Order: sequence, then structure tokens, then C-alpha cells
Amino acid sequence: MRVFVTGIGAVSAMGAGVEALRRGLWEGRAGFCELTVFDPARHRTKLAGEVEKWCLAPFSRRLSRSDRFACAVAAEAVARAAFDPPPETAVFFGSSTGGMLESERFFNNLRSGRRASLGSVASQENHGPGDAVARRLRTRGPVETIASACSASAMALAAALDCLRSGEAEVAIAGGADALCQLTYAGFNALRAVDEAPCRPFRADRAGLSIGEGAAALVLETEDHLRARGLLRADRRVELAGAGATCDAHHMTAPDPDGTGAAAAIERALADAGIGPDEIDFVNAHGTGTPLNDAAEAAALRRVFGARAAQLPVTSTKGAVGHLLGACGALEAVVTVLCLEAESVHPTPGGGRPDPALGLDVVLGAPRPVPGHRCALSTNFAFGGANAALVFRRHA
Amino acid sequence: MLDDAETRARIKRLIVEGLRLEGVAPDSIGDEAPLFGPGGLGLDSVDALELVVLLEKSFGLRLQSHEVKRESFANVASLAAMVRERLG
Amino acid sequence: MSVVVTGLGTIGPWGTGADALAVALRDGRPCARGVDRAAGYHRRGSARASALVPPEALAAAVPPALGRRMSPCSKLAVGATRLALRDAGLPDRPAEGVTAVALATNFGPSSCTEELLRQILDEGPEAASPFAFTECVANAPAGQIAIFTGARGPNATVMQREAGALLAVARGAAEIRAGRADRALVGSVDEVTPLTHAILDRFRALSRSDVARPFDRRRDGFLVSEGAAVLVLEREEDARARGARVRARIGPLARAFDAGAPPHGWGTGSDALAGALRERVGPAPLDRVVSGASGARAGDRLQARVLRAAFPDLAPVLAPKGVTGEFGGGFLAAAVLAAEGAPFGPTAGFAEPDPGLGLVPHDGRPLPPPGRVLVSALASGGAAAWLVLERP
Repeated sequence: MRVFVTGIGAVSAMGAGVEALRRGLWEGRAGFCELTVFDPARHRTKLAGEVEKWCLAPFSRRLSRSDRFACAVAAEAVARAAFDPPPETAVFFGSSTGGMLESERFFNNLRSGRRASLGSVASQENHGPGDAVARRLRTRGPVETIASACSASAMALAAALDCLRSGEAEVAIAGGADALCQLTYAGFNALRAVDEAPCRPFRADRAGLSIGEGAAALVLETEDHLRARGLLRADRRVELAGAGATCDAHHMTAPDPDGTGAAAAIERALADAGIGPDEIDFVNAHGTGTPLNDAAEAAALRRVFGARAAQLPVTSTKGAVGHLLGACGALEAVVTVLCLEAESVHPTPGGGRPDPALGLDVVLGAPRPVPGHRCALSTNFAFGGANAALVFRRHA
Repeated sequence: MLDDAETRARIKRLIVEGLRLEGVAPDSIGDEAPLFGPGGLGLDSVDALELVVLLEKSFGLRLQSHEVKRESFANVASLAAMVRERLG
Repeated sequence: MSVVVTGLGTIGPWGTGADALAVALRDGRPCARGVDRAAGYHRRGSARASALVPPEALAAAVPPALGRRMSPCSKLAVGATRLALRDAGLPDRPAEGVTAVALATNFGPSSCTEELLRQILDEGPEAASPFAFTECVANAPAGQIAIFTGARGPNATVMQREAGALLAVARGAAEIRAGRADRALVGSVDEVTPLTHAILDRFRALSRSDVARPFDRRRDGFLVSEGAAVLVLEREEDARARGARVRARIGPLARAFDAGAPPHGWGTGSDALAGALRERVGPAPLDRVVSGASGARAGDRLQARVLRAAFPDLAPVLAPKGVTGEFGGGFLAAAVLAAEGAPFGPTAGFAEPDPGLGLVPHDGRPLPPPGRVLVSALASGGAAAWLVLERP
């Protein structure tokens, strides 16, 4: 049973909506500026891919920032899918910290003896965003949030794929949402993993990641459901064709430098999609910009694609909007869909040249036209070693 | 102003207490004993980063990322040398 | 494909191991202790007790060298995993096959989160501890389990409150059925800190009388608990081939959502939930129900309504959270024990029926060995998950 992407939604440093994201990416822009959502003064770095204030309207202030991102992207995805999701729709979301920003303020007030309003932490846990979406859409189907850090929303997409293939539901909304918070910003800085300047994935002078925030959602429907809606014109439709997940079981923060676990996740996704490595036309990499991640990821890609890795276009969306943590899987999936639809791979911003030691064909400078390209791979790798890979196929 | 012996002793206490090395007496850590990797105390990259924060707090330093070099972290003696140099 | 439970490991307020829990359930004995209120987070008149893991059980969970940087959550999760593998007759690092991990948590390693926030807010972001950060993330315990056991299959952390544990079981079973893993370590873990306890109390979630009274007329909230339970799941044919003891077979699973539930409470719409439950679980008779009723006023009411609507002829209803408290691993572990026919004493905390519920939980009389046991989890916030455990 094929599963198709019928709607997409996104909120990021590029602005609200998929159009703003598309324009920013294809114009080669990067969305980093000095933090305002909290005071960056005493943090080791100052930049982030922050979502502009106006993008948060019109949702209730009682929802957390990440909940509001989630509701916005779900609404956009549903609008683009041009239908009302049935009650049996399943909702699978990923988040790494949920309403932590609001929890920090609550805790700060509590500790200082100021009034700490419970209403401000009405939705603090990681499942806040997913639950908020299900509540708004009044769904009755399965609702599940995965909290596996940087692989969370890729795994949410994989969970949705499983759910639809099994017949448990015919429609699913899968996505991720994460908001900037001091915990992760200071935490990654404590690990010295953050670049003071905008991140430079896959460059020789890369010096760390850039933290971003936002959300993305995809409406997924089975082929049968699309047919029943009279909409199965597979023409240009993008299919979520396969998913794979593994764990390095190596170290809590460092990836396995050989990339074997990551390669295995990719191979599982390819097998799940029923294709071989030769059929992948480009890769939306995890590409955080840390020395270790990019090297391990390159090793994994070389393992899977062999000599062909050097000619396989690779891009990192994180170079433009930063690392959305629990939401990066979903956002990068949306971008992969955009690339397939446009038959073009967006450039990783910042210029320069790829690190020759990596042996990859990184798309820099200008968008890379990929006419006729049909299959794409999106990868995500998390702390604790959880690896996830997704394969998308455009039907011509 | 701390002398060299006091600096080293303080660093050893930070290592044992801060990195939670149960059952290791601070003065059992040799000044030149390798801290990282196999054959030494067996500390890893996360221990190194924690040690950076502990050193910053304890000695009132601020270590830039480019200063956090492998060579300085080889053993207690090299750490003490780095601290004394930064304190001027 | 038949997936079975071959191992159960648990560490909780009752101590270490499934047998210790079985004794507490048989005796109907809750394990509550006073919470440290010295930090001043608690308000006057707040709940005072929680079901906490004895310090010696936490200390013994993993060898000190291994647990050096682990949060209590990770120690409990890895400790319960070791017990589960031993129970299944497997080594700490199974040499053959791929192992998946699916772990649920509600608060994650909250002591590390709190420590990190205190550092950031009181001393400044530059004081943030790498130790605290790497362990504070919700998926740290699952990562530690993978490193400890060499589990290279899919690794997921699920957060869905009271429904999380069953969702984790469903995930593990799905990985095996899809051929993505040969076995799965599934379960749930939580740690309770004074801050967590105080916040739950502010949400009026806890029993102010410090007694969890499932289905009782006087119920006024739950007893929050910490601990971990981990199950080993594998294909039944593999279990039989290696002569492993099978505790239970994974039967039908169902998931649903009540969009009418407020973020921290339960809704009143039971019909749709009952319909989903009935449809997925099927008509074959049930011998027991292990209900997630915890003493929460609205939660227990919803449990009663959904169960009665789905099964007019309702089997004996067990409510182990009177003993195990809410969160941690107690509910999941108790469910497996119930499926094996372990004797459950009178429902701890229950004495006076609530006339509005039309449901009275088990009174402790001996019951015949069960063939099919329904486990029912209705989460605050709206998620629902059900699992049938069958006699192998």
C-alpha cells in the first residue's frame, strides 16, 4: 500500500509557511540572527534560527510556543491537502523539549518567589505539540509523540508510514515541533558543539552547529484513500516510500565514526522502499556542521553509495535554518519533497568549498537542477545514537 | 596565589569529585598519568568538557573553545600548567 | 506472527525484581514515603508522599563504574533491563540477532533537567554541566540501554503520559513483526523529584491524603511513583527454540484519542473510546481487566465508563495503581504479572464504591487462571492505549 504526501506545512527562521521556506532556501539565504526569545548575553554564542514573533499569531497564548508552531504547520498542511482530515486520522509527532521555554520561565519565577502561573505550563511535556494538533483537528485515531531528540520527527514519519501500511488508519499527520529554550542552547554550548558564526556543514572549516526552532507537518494518505477522494493522479505526487532506523549503541553524544549504524539505517530505508542505492538521486543530509557528525555521516554515505557518493548531490537544510532538534526530521522531509517537486536541490548557504576529506558532492552556491530525478534520501542522527532515514519517491 | 602543588591537588579533587570517580583517591592520580583513553583513567570527551566547566568555576577562568586542546588535557600536570598560564 | 514476553525486570518502590512487586500486589500493600519538602516548592496543605525507589535499590541497579554519569532514570532503566534479560535467560549483550528498544517516560531524567536549569538561571549559562545536559534528554535512558546491551535496532523514546508504556510495547512488537528486530526491550521509566511532586500537587493531580483510591468514592488524586519496568519481547518460535519460559503472548493492541480531554485531564466522551476498544480487542471473552485507574477523579470515571460501555459483561477489574502508584514501571509490570495469574489482593486504597461509576474493583478473592487479560490505559490529555495479554 503506497503512502503519499498530500499536504505540507512549515515554520522556521525563514518565516511562516512553506512558500517562505522555499524562497529562502532557493535564494541561498541563511536565517540566523541574534536571539531575542531569551537574553543571549551570558551564553557562549548568540545566534539562532529564531522564528519571528509575527509567525506565532493567531494561536492562543495558553499554548506553548512549540504547540503554536505545531498548530500552524498542521493547519497549513491540511489546507494544502485541501480536505478535512477524518476523525480516524492518526497523529505522530516528534519533539525534544516541548514547552521547555515556558517551563524555564515558570521555574525561574518559582525559584525567585514570584508568582508562577500554572497556566503558563499548561502544555510542557514533549507530547504537547502533537496533542495540540490532535485536539484542534478533533481526531480519534492513534496519537503518539516520539522524544528521540534529533531523530524524533523522522521516526514520527516512520511511525505514520507503519500505521497507514497496516490499515490502522488511512490518513495521518506526521510532524515535529521544537522551540528555542535556554536548556538546549546552554547545553549544546556546554558541549562546545555550537558555532559562534552560522554553521558551515560539510566545509573544511566547519566549527559546530547552529540551533534553530520551528515545526513542520506532512499529511500522509494511503493510495486507496486518495483514490476514494478521486485524487489519485500519481502525477508529480511524492510518496513516502520507505523508512529505516537503527542505533549506534556506541556513545551518548559522539556518533560512531565509521558510520556503520547510520549506513544500516539508510540501507534499511532503501530496502523498505524496494530500491537500491543507485536509484537515490540526491540526499538531504543531517548535516549539522559539527566536525564529528559531518565526518561520520560522510563515512556512512560512502559506505552505502560507494564510489558514487562523490557524484551524489548532498545538501544540508540546517545550513539555512539551523538544527530544529526534534522537528528537523519533519522539516527536512518537507524540504526533500520541495526539492523533488521542483527537480532542484537547494544550496547549503555560506559558500566556500566542501571538505575534500569527506568525498561528497555538496550543493553550494546555487541550486542544483536535478531534472528527471525521482528518489531522494533524508537522514537524521540523534544523541544516544538513534539513526533514522527516509526515502521519498516522486511519481512522474 | 596558588602554588603548583596546590593547583595540581585541587585539579585532582575536581577530577574525582566532579567526574564522580568513586573509589579513586585524588592523591592516587599521578601528575603525569594519562587522563584520557585506554590505559589512563579512561575518561572520554564528555568528561573533558565537564572538566572544562569545573576548572572554569573553580579557578574563575573562561576557556575559549579553541583553547580546549588535547595537549593541555593530557594529564594533571599539563592542566595545571594551562591554568597557571591563564591566571597569569 | 506470535510475539511473546519472555522476560520481566522491574525496580520500584517495592524494591528490586518482579517477585517483590508480586508480593506487594498480593498483599495489597502500597509503598509510599515522605517527599523531601526542604526546597520549599511545596505549598501548605500539599500532598506529602510519593512512591519512591529505596536508595539501596537505586544504588544496586547498575555497577558504580557503569552508572557514573547516569541519571537515576538511566540507572533504573538499565537496571530493569539487566533483570529482564536475566529473567529471559539471555546475557547482558545477546550475541545473536538485532535488539530494538522502545521506552516510555513521563518526566524523563528530571533531576538532571532541574540541575541544569538551576545552573543556567542561578550561575549563568556558562555553568551548564555537560554531564547534566547529556543525561537530561528524555531519550537518554533508551540510549544507555542500547549501549549497555549492544542494541543496534530501532531505538525510540515515547512520551504519552499514562498511555506511554503500552505504546512502547506496541512499538516493540511492531518492530519484531515487521522483521526490523529479532527482539525488543520495551518498558517505561520515571524518576520523581521534590519539584515534580510539588508541580503535580499544584495541578491538583495528587491525592492530598497521600492515598491512591482507585474507583473509590473518596478518591482525590493519584500517588506518583518512580521506577522502571522492562520486558523482553521476541518471536514465540525463537523463544520456544531456545527453551525460554514464556510469560505471556502479545494479543490485540489498540490506540485512540479523546480530543475532548483538556491538556491535563480526562474528557467525558467514553462512547468513541469504548467503540475503538471493542472493535480492536474483539469479542473473545476476557478473564481480567488491568485498569489504569489511579485514584484520579475524572480518570477513574472515564476508565469505568469506557470499560462498562465496551463490555457489558465485565470481567474482574484489577486496579494495581493503588499499590504501584502512577508512572514509573509498576503498572506495566503488574499487567504482566496479572496475565500470568499472579494473585492480586484486595484493591489497595479502595473501600467505598462510587455509586456513579457502576464498577467495583477486585476484592482479593482467588480467581481462576486467566486466558486473556485486557490492559487499559487512558492518559490525561486524551491518548488511549489497550493491550490484550494472552496465556501462551
